[in-house]
Amino acid sequence: MILKIAWRNVWRSKGRSFVVMGSIVVGIWALLVGSGFMNGFMVGYMNEAINYDISNIQVHHPEFKTDYDINLTIPNGVIKADDLRNWNGVDGVTTRTIVNGMIASPKKASGVQIRGIDKMNEAKVTMLDSLIVEGAYFEGIKRNPIIIGAKLAETLNVKVRSKVVLTFNDKNSNITAGAFRVVGIVKSSSLKINELYAYVLKNDVDKLLGIGDEVHEIALLTAEGVIETDIVAKYNKKYTGDLIQDWKLIAPEMAFMQEMYGSMLYVLMFIILTALIFGIVNTMLMAVLERFKELGMLMAVGMNRLRVFAMILIETLSLAIIASPVGLIISYLTISYYRSVGVDLTNYSDALESFGYASILYPFVAQETYMIVTIGVIFTAFIGAMYPAWKAVKLNPVEALHKI
Amino acid sequence: MNTVIKAENLYKVYNETKIPVKALNGVNIEINEGEFTAIVGPSGCGKTTLLNIIGGLDHPTEGKVVVANEDIAKMKDGELIDFRLNNIGFVFQAYNLIPVLTTLENVEFIMLLQKQDKVLREKRSMELLEEMGIADKADKRPSELSGGQQQRVAVARALASKPKFILADEPTANLDSKSTENLLDMMAKLNEEENATFVFSTHDQRVIDKAKRIITLEDGVVISDETK
Repeated sequence: MILKIAWRNVWRSKGRSFVVMGSIVVGIWALLVGSGFMNGFMVGYMNEAINYDISNIQVHHPEFKTDYDINLTIPNGVIKADDLRNWNGVDGVTTRTIVNGMIASPKKASGVQIRGIDKMNEAKVTMLDSLIVEGAYFEGIKRNPIIIGAKLAETLNVKVRSKVVLTFNDKNSNITAGAFRVVGIVKSSSLKINELYAYVLKNDVDKLLGIGDEVHEIALLTAEGVIETDIVAKYNKKYTGDLIQDWKLIAPEMAFMQEMYGSMLYVLMFIILTALIFGIVNTMLMAVLERFKELGMLMAVGMNRLRVFAMILIETLSLAIIASPVGLIISYLTISYYRSVGVDLTNYSDALESFGYASILYPFVAQETYMIVTIGVIFTAFIGAMYPAWKAVKLNPVEALHKI
Repeated sequence: MNTVIKAENLYKVYNETKIPVKALNGVNIEINEGEFTAIVGPSGCGKTTLLNIIGGLDHPTEGKVVVANEDIAKMKDGELIDFRLNNIGFVFQAYNLIPVLTTLENVEFIMLLQKQDKVLREKRSMELLEEMGIADKADKRPSELSGGQQQRVAVARALASKPKFILADEPTANLDSKSTENLLDMMAKLNEEENATFVFSTHDQRVIDKAKRIITLEDGVVISDETK
């Protein structure tokens, strides 16, 4: 019957109960949608970086990334890459030649990282072909085709089929150069792809470098759900002397960002739930003070303090239990809708792209976040009910009964 | 006859540290089983204070209150709650029913707190409502009943757990003449038939007329104790 009384008390003052439930619904919605947008930014940023640039895992000569010395290649790189293609949990493997140099058009020159790629395997690992906005993915130009970013094309003032010259040091540290023709222009939110990379076919650049079939970088795309560190451990067990790193080590700033966004959820949760606690305390305290005489009577006739405390607690928890699913459903629908259509932030694309963010945002909330938020809200209601419930059990029945 | 309440040398002083007000000044009373007693006296004479103390709602400043061989004056608040639940029935001036429960549920409530069986609870509650002449209102909420009907529900609730005695603080103060008459008849009948012990505090002459024993208080002292 305590449950029955508590439940009926919830509906005794419908307006007040709806205000509390409304604030819980809005709190949950704000929390989940806010978190969804933060995740959208983060996942978008990370996906862009992993899918189009760094991939999940990279292998190098241990010293290569120190100063990009072209002689520091991976021993038996091609054989190792072929072997990796057969590994479970590896969806794609590509090999690259990497050399820093200059790119020059008739009007301007700029520093670039020249990436000699295997066009078929690169497309499997980084989906580079999907970023083409002008021209084609290494099609239509047979000799020395090159793909550059939109921003770099703008800087050099070149278009598809324009000629550019790449200059860099060869194997023997002699300056060498080659003429290339722009076959495609790519556009991405990644600053590197847009401005700093120049993609050429591996064979073309290898000939100019004079390094034969050597490999500077092996990039791996892992299957969904595969733990990258497991592949890293397996590789280290089989091959020694190479530097193999997952994306968290390749781009530690992204790992930090992921961690930071994870804590942001808790910060956001703390702020919103703290505000909610005050709302709940205020409303439930009003409910208790309004029923002072009734509570006094209950204690006078023999309802012990624990039961009075439980009754107030159940009333508050009932509000949270009714409001939480409503808040969760509204949040789920909001997030699902924007996840399917995306949030168009193209008005701010310049600013966003300068930070490496995509201009279309796809909010995303992990299932466990729904669970965390629900537990958080119920816990908040529990905490919020404590003071009013304590106030109720502390009342003196004689004073309460004679209260007008 | 069994003694149900024995109060010895009861003193109650309010505001002991500021301006002390003596509400009870050495009260000695004994109430026996089956009595129909009215405690009367002018406003401020200590009627309600005495009722609160013998009902275990308040502690005396000094003195003993023995109910069912236990000195309730020495009990802690938590113990008193349990003691009240199992030994004392209360009828309040403002009825004080639980507004969200039906009439039947209100009567059942005390038995529920005592963890009595559901079937027994319902049977006893319905019997009492029938005795009080309001069985047809069993599924109504207090707000749907008249004042007199609500007070009858309160009496049924007080009797439901078969307490040692029932304390009624000005039970007719909010009732019209007819309702007062009906309520007093019902209580007198319960006193006769079930040997229920009633202790009233009242100003109401109609209650005083019905009472079999009248204890008069003045300035916190018993000045007369008459049995009719």
